[in-house]
Amino acid sequence: MIKKITLIGMLIFMLFVFSSNISWLEDNIDTTTKDYYIENSLYETGSRNIVTGIYLDYRLFDSIFETSLLLITVSGITFMYKKDDPTL
Amino acid sequence: MKNSQILVCISRVLFPFVLVFGFYVIVNGHLTPGGGFQGGAILATAILITYFIIPERINIIDGLVRLEKHLFLWIIVVGSLSLITKGTFFTNPLPIPAAISFKRIFLVLLNFLIGSKVAIGLVAIFSSFIEEGRS
Repeated sequence: MIKKITLIGMLIFMLFVFSSNISWLEDNIDTTTKDYYIENSLYETGSRNIVTGIYLDYRLFDSIFETSLLLITVSGITFMYKKDDPTL
Repeated sequence: MKNSQILVCISRVLFPFVLVFGFYVIVNGHLTPGGGFQGGAILATAILITYFIIPERINIIDGLVRLEKHLFLWIIVVGSLSLITKGTFFTNPLPIPAAISFKRIFLVLLNFLIGSKVAIGLVAIFSSFIEEGRS
């Protein structure tokens, strides 16, 4: 019972902190990057979808390592699947 | 693995539509929401439907992983093309004032490579799970 009351109290406190921070953020938000992408993305990358323009042109370095992550995952799973194979 | 007749029939109807939708999401990644990763996941789903249709599917995991490695190398090569034309890594090889329709070739090519790579990777993962569960 004490655990539940403590948990609910902590959750209410976190809700209060988050909501007060969000109301503070509304006045101090910085939209420089967003405005830049919205204005120049079609001209610079040729993509009407801004997300594609970001992950295939501005941040292609990140995308390549993201695909390498999947490759490493597949290699690991295949290794564990083939572990009992006598040819290895 | 035993399947009901209704599931097999519905899977046979559904398979080409899911396949075409996956290709649509990949190829239109620069115009509408979606892209390589999402379309690749849909393609992997379409290929996994064939496990309902033919449960005695052959096991080709080695070839899949090898193909995925080659596709990853091709992604790096296509991404590094801008080193020759612009002098910097990992951006569009065409200059910025070029026509938009020419610059879209690069986006479609990379989306297609990433989509095939993600589809092949997910199919390899699920194939190994299915084979492990069957044995």
